[in-house]
Amino acid sequence: MVDITVRVNGATHAGSVEPRMTLSDFLRDDLDLTGTHVGCEHGACGACTVIVDGRAVRSCLMLAVQAAGSEVTTIEGLAPEGTLGPLQQAMRDSHSFQCGFCTPGFVMQASAFLSAHPDAGEQEIREALSGNICRCTGYQSIIDGVLLAARRGREA
Amino acid sequence: MTQIAAERYTGASVKRSEDPRILTGGGRYVADVKLPGMLHAAFVRSPLAHARVLAVDVSAARALPGVVAVLTGAELEAMTVPGPDPLLALMGGGGPTPEYTLLATDKVRFAGDPVAIVVAESRYLAEDGCELVEVDYADLPPVVSAGLALDAGSPPVFANLGDNIVGPHKRSEFGDVAGTFAAADRVAEFHIDVHRHQNVPMEGRGCIVSHDADSGIVTVHAATQSVHITRMGVAMRLGIEQDKVRVLAGDIGGSFGLKIGVSREELAVAAASRAVGRPVKWVEDRSENLSASGHAREESFDVRAAVSKDGDLLGLDVKMVIDTGAYPVMGTMVPAIIEMMLPGPYKLAALGFESTAVTTNKASYVAYRGPWASETFVRERVLDLLAKDLGLDPLEIRLRNVAPRTDPPFTMITGRPLVGVTTKESLERVAHAVDIPAFRRRQAEERARGRYLGIGLATFIEGAPGPRSPEGPSGPMGLEFMRLRLAEDGVVTLFTGQMPHGQSHQTTLAQIAADEFGVPFEQVRVVVGDSDVVPFGLTGGSRSATMTGGVTLHGARQLKAKVLEFASHLMEASARDLEIVDGEVLVRGDPDSAMTVAEVARQAASGQFGSDVDPDLAVEASYDGGEGGWSGGSHCAIVEVDVETGMVKVERYVAAEDCGALINPAVVEGQIRGGIAQGIGAVLLERSAYDQDGNYQSATFMDYLLPTACDIPRIEIEHLETVPLDADVNFRGVGEGGMIVAPPTVVNAIEDALTPFGVRIYEQHLPPARILELIAASTPA
Repeated sequence: MVDITVRVNGATHAGSVEPRMTLSDFLRDDLDLTGTHVGCEHGACGACTVIVDGRAVRSCLMLAVQAAGSEVTTIEGLAPEGTLGPLQQAMRDSHSFQCGFCTPGFVMQASAFLSAHPDAGEQEIREALSGNICRCTGYQSIIDGVLLAARRGREA
Repeated sequence: MTQIAAERYTGASVKRSEDPRILTGGGRYVADVKLPGMLHAAFVRSPLAHARVLAVDVSAARALPGVVAVLTGAELEAMTVPGPDPLLALMGGGGPTPEYTLLATDKVRFAGDPVAIVVAESRYLAEDGCELVEVDYADLPPVVSAGLALDAGSPPVFANLGDNIVGPHKRSEFGDVAGTFAAADRVAEFHIDVHRHQNVPMEGRGCIVSHDADSGIVTVHAATQSVHITRMGVAMRLGIEQDKVRVLAGDIGGSFGLKIGVSREELAVAAASRAVGRPVKWVEDRSENLSASGHAREESFDVRAAVSKDGDLLGLDVKMVIDTGAYPVMGTMVPAIIEMMLPGPYKLAALGFESTAVTTNKASYVAYRGPWASETFVRERVLDLLAKDLGLDPLEIRLRNVAPRTDPPFTMITGRPLVGVTTKESLERVAHAVDIPAFRRRQAEERARGRYLGIGLATFIEGAPGPRSPEGPSGPMGLEFMRLRLAEDGVVTLFTGQMPHGQSHQTTLAQIAADEFGVPFEQVRVVVGDSDVVPFGLTGGSRSATMTGGVTLHGARQLKAKVLEFASHLMEASARDLEIVDGEVLVRGDPDSAMTVAEVARQAASGQFGSDVDPDLAVEASYDGGEGGWSGGSHCAIVEVDVETGMVKVERYVAAEDCGALINPAVVEGQIRGGIAQGIGAVLLERSAYDQDGNYQSATFMDYLLPTACDIPRIEIEHLETVPLDADVNFRGVGEGGMIVAPPTVVNAIEDALTPFGVRIYEQHLPPARILELIAASTPA
């Protein structure tokens, strides 16, 4: 077992983990942050995306020990409890999702992308989200949500 | 927060009540549930398609610290009651019944077949335990295709059957088949294949089962389309009464038909939990999901079409073979639906149909969004092939053959009336939207520049729920039930057997109830997912818009009448003079008399009434579907085929759909787009592939390719609303149509693009390599 300290959603967590434990399992099982979903366990679907030190990463492909000393943001940390952040609100307004399983990954991926590319257009957004799989929507409503958030961000 | 100012919620794109939780990580999916003392299961699975199991050595696994139990097929067999798949038992398959166990005992029947279950303190340890289980196999010849399965000499997958036929050959004729073919100007013949592909919900299967030794109650946390079907299956296999099983479900991460029943693995987890006396959790990983959860389609069709020289489709004679894989669940039921639906919205006057269902050493056939969809693929492909041969335009041949809308309605040759079907209108609507003549001009110009564009058109109807049947609703697809209650806080609570997994029922049913009862949308609560609390039901078959929409509307009306009757005693007015507006009961025209529904409910709960007053503000409602009706529509795709690489790009996609009255347009459009995306994926990307030895080739997302945001275009949707058939309920289902009609739409467009090469397409899966093969093998026109 390895002792690690990780800052998650602004709070410091100390834990003792097996070296083989993935970051997604650490977040879900040890920290009870079950908003991060595991969709494929091989880095292909993006459902487990979280933000580590400002970058979107697949938490199923990262070991918990690799996150030691890092700052991690999960879907639970995106907006104060009981509220929706601007991206989440825009996605709700756009009826972006259906079953909700891929949702946290899309929200985190889009959030990281929009912070770096606030002026992105549709094609750039599609490419940025092309590593996240949604089986319900056909993507258009998700893209519309991100475009709406970007527009509102520019107008604000 | 009242979000819309409209008079009615029904018909408006009300924002989903599901979204605040799913957008913040607050959804609760089965993998998120933790119970005290919970253990984790993993399965040892067969690496071989067909083999005898000689020995299973679990001693090393049992000795591993952290492993609590390892159960073999034989041990599990001793703890459970034998029988066919519970869904098959419920729905009735009709064919011979294979005998098998939850985990393989004497032999394994597909690569991925579960052989043993390891239960440990963590999933990591359970998988470590699986690594230590040693199974000795003796290879048997694998039956990896329907062709092999039909060969009487093939080794039987199930010893008790003697051969590999699970749906015996059957032929039906409607109309004068022989006469029609004898008199036709032409008879064309085609062999058409639909490939094996699969549901792939982003959340796979999973469950947590606990067993209370004192009460004997088994509690299942399930990812299911019906808590009641899961309850039935668990009770059957554990050999206990249904009321000893409680099934709970929270959010479900998609399904598309996969989770309509209860799988062998889930039943094995239930038995294992009872054996170890602790809660056991199993959540399948993606490789299990892709290789072992089940696959769909894989059907072949020998088609003869009788046609006049002017393009009248006079008769079809179709021979179908379906590969149901191992462990039949529902594949044997599909041919009868395909037979019934084959005429579609057309005047077809003669149909011969025969089918055989076989079992093979591949994963089981499972329901996937429009399980009978191949009837539309075959028919719409055949129409384009005939149009090409006759020099007709694809729109022209369809308009020529569409049944007219008459009163009484035209009846399909297979027996169901085409009541309220708007195929002609939807065809004209999409044709107008894309401007086919303008496209043809552009197509010619681009071809001259070496770019190959194509346009494809296809149309479908879907019994969602279908026209009222003279026999009335029956079986699991029969009556829909709902309990409704006005709670003391003024909330109208709906208890429904629907188990939404993306369909937004918490929003759409609340819209209908809010309008009908007279409260704000936020004052309606939809309760799902507890078999002790909700009435029987299932989400599937695109039935909930009509059936659950209908029971919500009528149930809310009944509850309102009951509340007004009770309020009439409080308000000393006749119930006839009372109304409910925006959550308040009042005497019509007298705002000063208003009393909130919460106050009425609190008074009712106080219990100070005579025996002539009924203060129980709850009702139990049922609904038979009213006049029912068809959903349907026509789709059009414009594609570009790169003849150098074989890549296909869908440039434009337009759908004109008629699902009657829309409850929530954004939800409807989401269903349509999602289905189309799956249909585009099925044609361009997805295939559940086996090699000749029955090894599964598509067990990761690097091998089973799903469409991404770069593969699916913006989808334009136009809504038609049929003439109402019912006084109140004209909502019709829209869950499956996109997936039913997108494959022929896209394939028709690809063939059109390749017209200069003389390519004819008789299959559904067209990845780049196949496109190049088709071009290479073609004879340029």
